[in-house]
Amino acid sequence: MKHNEILEKIAYCIEYGKIDRNSPFPPNLKGQDGAGEYTQMALEKGIRADDVLRMGLMQGMDRVGKKFRENKIFVPQVLMSAKAMNSSMEHLMPFFTSGEIRSKGKFIIGTVLGDLHDIGKNLVSMILKGNGWEVIDLGIDVSSEKFLDALKEHPDSVVGLSALLTTTMANMKETVEKIKDQNSETCVAIGGAPVTREFCDRIGADIYSPDPQGLVDYLNQRYNAG
Amino acid sequence: MTGKERIKKAFRFEKTDKTPWVPFVGVHGAHLTGMDAESYLKSSEAIVKGVSKAIELYKPDGIPVSFDLQAEAEALGCKLKWAADNPPAVVSHPLEEGTSAGQLPGFSKDAGRIPVFLEACRKLRREHPDIALYGLVTGPFTLALHLAGTNIFMQMMEAPDEVMKLMEFCNGVSKKMASWYIQNGCDVIAVVDPMTSQIDPVSFESFVSPPAVELFDQVRNEGALGSFFVCGFAQQNIEAMCRCRPDNISIDENIPLSYVKDVASSLNVSFGGNLKLTSVLSMGSLRDVELHTLETLDQGGEKGFIMAPGCDLVMDTPAENLVAVGRVLSDSYHREFLRTLEAADTGTGKADLSGHWKDEKVVIDIITLDSSSCAPCQYMVEAVETAANKFGNKVICNEYSIKSKEGISMMNALGVKNVPVTVLDGDIRFISRIPPQAEIDSVIREKLVAKKLI
Repeated sequence: MKHNEILEKIAYCIEYGKIDRNSPFPPNLKGQDGAGEYTQMALEKGIRADDVLRMGLMQGMDRVGKKFRENKIFVPQVLMSAKAMNSSMEHLMPFFTSGEIRSKGKFIIGTVLGDLHDIGKNLVSMILKGNGWEVIDLGIDVSSEKFLDALKEHPDSVVGLSALLTTTMANMKETVEKIKDQNSETCVAIGGAPVTREFCDRIGADIYSPDPQGLVDYLNQRYNAG
Repeated sequence: MTGKERIKKAFRFEKTDKTPWVPFVGVHGAHLTGMDAESYLKSSEAIVKGVSKAIELYKPDGIPVSFDLQAEAEALGCKLKWAADNPPAVVSHPLEEGTSAGQLPGFSKDAGRIPVFLEACRKLRREHPDIALYGLVTGPFTLALHLAGTNIFMQMMEAPDEVMKLMEFCNGVSKKMASWYIQNGCDVIAVVDPMTSQIDPVSFESFVSPPAVELFDQVRNEGALGSFFVCGFAQQNIEAMCRCRPDNISIDENIPLSYVKDVASSLNVSFGGNLKLTSVLSMGSLRDVELHTLETLDQGGEKGFIMAPGCDLVMDTPAENLVAVGRVLSDSYHREFLRTLEAADTGTGKADLSGHWKDEKVVIDIITLDSSSCAPCQYMVEAVETAANKFGNKVICNEYSIKSKEGISMMNALGVKNVPVTVLDGDIRFISRIPPQAEIDSVIREKLVAKKLI
């Protein structure tokens, strides 16, 4: 198999959530190799890890992000794709550690104080990782102080706040204000089912996107990282 | 027409005397009675007090007994994390931790906080016989997620039979809860299933529709009405939701109301929503709320529409904002006032008041929609003029209709927000209320004394 064919196989497996040979989903690929096997094959054939990431994984996740934005796929399908991506990523981790692969930047993410929902946050994390960002996940129920502490540790990071509950959006406002008070240059992204662009403008955040791909596009443009 | 009758008619697409209004009061009831969310949601007495306060203030046609989508999960063994100003959140998922559905505790009327809600329901029924009481039941898919965690999304792909079994179990819980609410006096069962917003129509039809159809059929057979609530971007599933045979669906601001109206009406399902919870109801000004309510009302139309927030009200939503929603719905003159304001040139500024006030006279300005077409305006003008005439030329009485630019600039200059309003020497005194002659006399006298004119 040619190098570009292997990379396309990786992208395809990630797009359709084919994890490995043993995974039953999707039914039409049952018994065939998945993202894990093709990534291993790519590295064994001498394809550079950075190329595997950019031309395999990132291609696949880019398609997933776009389909999600267009309402062609929903959370279950994205999670399957993320699972497939993780099985590829396992093979690439040593190359991140060695510095052979460099990330586009750091993204601190968390669900705001009082909110324990993590689906949206996790989806954004996965799609950002799949697009080459290093994600620092602070988890759920994260106070403003925790976000500020993480920013002190990783000063040039973008910060992403997630909320599912309308009732916790007030905490989102408070966190945005505190981050901006500390450093008005810090880029703050907000998202979650009840969040709207109007709300984003009102609380002074930099970007709201109803889907992760919108955030990826924004970041790529803002940081010239496409 | 009582609130309950209005809701029932709207659910059947019959014309009502005004659009029914259902504020989704959950922990907001705690805010109204000065409590924290946890104490509130653990006490039937507190819930009755909070809901009764909301009924007194907002004059709704229907209201939920409570808005807590964690109660069933808690009764089935999920651990909760409580907050002072939010509903609790589920923090443990027993099925994810190795428990099987068969090992979960039995779901009974005595489990967890279920008795709290049923008792609150009985008391509210007795105290408010004319209001449509909504019993909120956690939808089977959201309950399944509480029990199994987010792995369920992947299991839908990898182990669909297991997920279907879990959905059947959860629907059994939802059916029991619905029956108990009906037996204790609820008129409407709202099946709240926000997590369905995360799945595609094929998954919805495969996993959610079969149990939901059963659930709504049972609600109907037990003599109640059924409403299907969803929050979040669920536009892809609106048609599938309507095909589950509820009487009504309710959605939030993520979905255009006009879209829902078209789809639901074509399937003979009434619909409700979708006032913006945070940017308008919670954080907006009174005028933002009024104009947004008017806009939502225009989109919803006159038949088959229930005015409601998109979801559970933010706990400290200002009460005056929710009072304002009710006023827009019940006061046709106020709606006309708002429309007139909207249509007016937004560039209209403030009138120049230099030279307007007189040392030797009391100046009364009455801001009206137009006293020739607005009855309350007419009565206010007549009442104030009658009182003013008693003081001869010591009092000047002017009417300013906001249908003219001059009227709007005068309203802006005087800081008036409603009509009809009477302003004496710049002092706003009577707002949308026609006072008795003695009261008007006394206020005019007060102003004359201040100027040493009597």
